[in-house]
Amino acid sequence: MSFPYGKAPLALLTVAIVTGAILAATRGRQSAYEPDLVFMIFAPNHVEAYEEVVAEFEREHGVDVDIQLVSSRALTSRLQAALMTGAPVPDLVEILNGTMGYYTRGPLQDVGFVDLTDRLHDEGLYDRIVESRFSLWSSRGRVFALPHDVHPVMLCYRRDLVEELGIDVSTLTTWDEFARVGREITTDLDGDGNPDRYMLDLNHGGGMLPTLLLQRGVGLFDADGNVAFDVPEAADVIMWHIRQTRGPGRITFEAGWGQGLTKTMIDGLCLFYFCPDWRTKQFEMDIAALDGKLALMPLPAWEAGARRTSTWGGTGLCITKACRNQELAWALAKKLYFDKDELGARFKASNIIPPFQDAWNLPEFQEQRPFFSNQPVGALFAALAPSTPPDYASPYLSLARTKLSEAFLNAVDRFEKHGEDGLREYTISELKRCADYVRRVSERNVFLREEMEARP
Amino acid sequence: MRNNTSDMPYPESSTLYRLKTRLVPWLFLAPFLVLTCTFFVYPFLNAVALAFRQTNGPASNVFVGWDNFRFVLTDPDFHTAVKNTTVYALASVFVQLPLSLGLAMLLNAGRSRVKNLFRLVLFSPHLVGQIFVGILFAVLFMPRYGMFNRFIQALTGWGLEQRWLSTPALVMPALIITSMWLYVGFNMIYFLAALQNVDQNLVEAARIDGAGPWAEFVHIILPAIKPVAVFVVVLSTIGSYQLFELPYALLQGFGPKNAGLTIVGYLYRTAFDSGDLGTGAAIGWLLALIIMTISIVQIRVAKAMGGEA
Repeated sequence: MSFPYGKAPLALLTVAIVTGAILAATRGRQSAYEPDLVFMIFAPNHVEAYEEVVAEFEREHGVDVDIQLVSSRALTSRLQAALMTGAPVPDLVEILNGTMGYYTRGPLQDVGFVDLTDRLHDEGLYDRIVESRFSLWSSRGRVFALPHDVHPVMLCYRRDLVEELGIDVSTLTTWDEFARVGREITTDLDGDGNPDRYMLDLNHGGGMLPTLLLQRGVGLFDADGNVAFDVPEAADVIMWHIRQTRGPGRITFEAGWGQGLTKTMIDGLCLFYFCPDWRTKQFEMDIAALDGKLALMPLPAWEAGARRTSTWGGTGLCITKACRNQELAWALAKKLYFDKDELGARFKASNIIPPFQDAWNLPEFQEQRPFFSNQPVGALFAALAPSTPPDYASPYLSLARTKLSEAFLNAVDRFEKHGEDGLREYTISELKRCADYVRRVSERNVFLREEMEARP
Repeated sequence: MRNNTSDMPYPESSTLYRLKTRLVPWLFLAPFLVLTCTFFVYPFLNAVALAFRQTNGPASNVFVGWDNFRFVLTDPDFHTAVKNTTVYALASVFVQLPLSLGLAMLLNAGRSRVKNLFRLVLFSPHLVGQIFVGILFAVLFMPRYGMFNRFIQALTGWGLEQRWLSTPALVMPALIITSMWLYVGFNMIYFLAALQNVDQNLVEAARIDGAGPWAEFVHIILPAIKPVAVFVVVLSTIGSYQLFELPYALLQGFGPKNAGLTIVGYLYRTAFDSGDLGTGAAIGWLLALIIMTISIVQIRVAKAMGGEA
């Protein structure tokens, strides 16, 4: 039998029919599986931590929960696109700090996540959670995600070397005192012109400035979403940062991440490292050579008696509006984040302090850790957790960070040319210029502008 | 040749025959047309409309006229992005391509076994992709422990703590060095193919007439490889203006003081960090306009200089 249009069209038709049939068959098989909840997560260690709890939840409720692990970048871009276009989204999803602003850049009714504010208040949960953590997941006073963590920041230090040098860390209560001691110990030991010992690991491009500013009480945005970093206090922090990273008084080295950081720590090139709770687990896993040689201390304060911590990072759990069974999703969210019995083991596995304060007196939090010179890591971080500063979300967060860094680097240029003469005034004016730029961009957002104008 | 019409069960004058001969070509064209309309024409028209709007998902959509274009054209960050991208494009054309040509000429003069090995070695960086190369070079540029600084210190006794990726003035050189490793071998392949097609009779005739290596290069080789050279220059320029992944991976963002911000990076930041898809679309159209203008100018210049482009 011959095909009237020749062999090539026959081949094309055959391929089309075969592939179509395969697609139809496999799609049919895929769609046959319909879990009651789809839960998307970007952190592999969270998947491991949740597996048992979710299995228990499935047994208790007689439901099926499908946990999907997706890399953070892919999850963010897929979720953004799906929520924008109305494509299918998971029922529950964990999102990364800094991304919430994207989802809340329009009118409140357009936010693709369930507003959890009333549930939190009605069930008495709001007051049992570290309040500042809601700032990362809120917009215009409404909470759209449950905070997974607190991420207080401490300083991790090479205890063995610090003791060898006779430094008493209990006296390092302010950053100025810290810098003074730093200038004493930052030294070129072998005379090759390059210091071989620095006091602190600090990003020289200003990457840690948001964390340092938060400690000082300066956020990039305020609770109403207004740009808030052009204040004199921010200029003071920048001046301090410049003195420690440039010029003859330099006490810092930029160790970076990964191999560079590991090598710096093992070599003892820097003595002190910024250390949020999550980083302690990384150190435990990646730098076995320093077992028993590290210890933790609160951040020195900007002024005597002031806040001794800051915050760095965060994860939040959202329930999407597209979720067909929002009550079931809420029940799972509560089991994951507020089941005290589960939180002890999870802390032990991750070293991450949950914002649910009821858990902090569990034995796991009091446990002494040989890796950190037998310090009770959980108790140390938990003691600082209530004073972590709020870190408000905004769609313009990334832009604000870039502009803050720009103001800082312009101040650095000025310092390198003219020293400290007129530097504070210049820094204040640069901060204002950069903040005004972020204001100009954010004021273009017609949706937020209309809502702000409609407010009484 | 076989006449298919004679096999037809119905006459050529019948309505069924006429319908069939008219419909069948469209039937076979249909998949292509459907795909093109779905994935090219519709998004294209939508992108034009989007550039004049502010959106927040399907529910919120506001017409803002030329406001997106006005904002972008007066935005100092866009000017920085255009400047950075242009510097990178110029380096690609005036540093990277001459190097590619030089390597191609060296390989062309070599023995075939060695030629094949070196061709593979020089081309292989291109196989690993921009993200991998970005991450790899971020390690090489590390202060104190990075290979570059170690090398510079070994040569000069200075530069161990040079912060390539956090010093604004050093970001672009670092980016150009990285992209050279990635693309020199890739462009070399084009030049090598062109050099292998140069008429050897002309080369030999020139040598007999006493032409030196420089005269031979300028008067014989260069005109012979000109079509390929123009193609590579245009391709390299377009690629440079579309640069995004490499600086993003190398600098984990756009670098200090936006020193690594490219036009596509600016588009990404606006559309996907801040969620302003309308302004993102406007930036995309401006980028298309810039690339089109530069490409036309390059092709016209090449034509004006003689020879086909």
